[in-house]
Amino acid sequence: MSEPMAPSESSASQPTSTRTGPGRLLVAIYGLFALAASSRAAVQIATKFHHAPVAYVLSAFAGVVYIIATVTLTAGSRTARRICVVSCSVEFVGVLAVGTWSVLDPASFPDATVWSDYGIGYGFVPLVLPVFGLLWLRYWARRDRTGSSAPLT
Amino acid sequence: MNGVLPTTIIVAGLALAGYALLETARNRRMGATLLGALGVLEILLLVLVGMIVARLVGGHHPADLAVLIGYLIGIPLIPVAAAFWGALERSRWGPAVAAVAGLVAAVLMVRLHQIWPVIHV
Repeated sequence: MSEPMAPSESSASQPTSTRTGPGRLLVAIYGLFALAASSRAAVQIATKFHHAPVAYVLSAFAGVVYIIATVTLTAGSRTARRICVVSCSVEFVGVLAVGTWSVLDPASFPDATVWSDYGIGYGFVPLVLPVFGLLWLRYWARRDRTGSSAPLT
Repeated sequence: MNGVLPTTIIVAGLALAGYALLETARNRRMGATLLGALGVLEILLLVLVGMIVARLVGGHHPADLAVLIGYLIGIPLIPVAAAFWGALERSRWGPAVAAVAGLVAAVLMVRLHQIWPVIHV
């Protein structure tokens, strides 16, 4: 049995940091991708780099981007959020660029990256994740500006 | 190795995810039922890891042994991490974290089969 939330903790209360509320889910998914992409790239680069160098380097780059997002969303300070906006933007451009590149030139990708075919191997999560990340950061930027909290569903 | 355990894990993971998403939709926080379900998932995953390790010790191994070992280390962490991270959250987003763990457990069974086809699904 799950406990229903007390009225004081219902939707009226606002998340207190970038790692709570919807941020809890974002940090979980970013953390998962950080772990998956970077460990996969580490194994591939260590054991068979020459098989698909482009794919493995891009996987490692994606891993770094996911680590930055996980750490900055967890930290949540103003500076951390600014870094996160940059990294989520790089991530979004990266998914679109690598996705397009892998569709147009499959020969460069004998092995897939996280971002190949717009993240199809990961249920397109890599494509939508930066969008939700940026929306979440925009919510916090607005909260900063207005000094109060915007409604959040 | 037959496919009963991985298939059970897929069904359990998807059921857990479905229930957790329902809790998110109903605006509930993490409760004893979800924590218990994550515990059951953890036990199933540990048994599976044990069976795969037994097979490795028995002298068989897949082409990509390093990747398999990475999975064997990572897989049991998923329900534990989701339980802690989700229980810290005092809103509907706690069950949403549990839903991710259930889905990931199911997907990883398919990945395990791709890494080492003797692990049937």
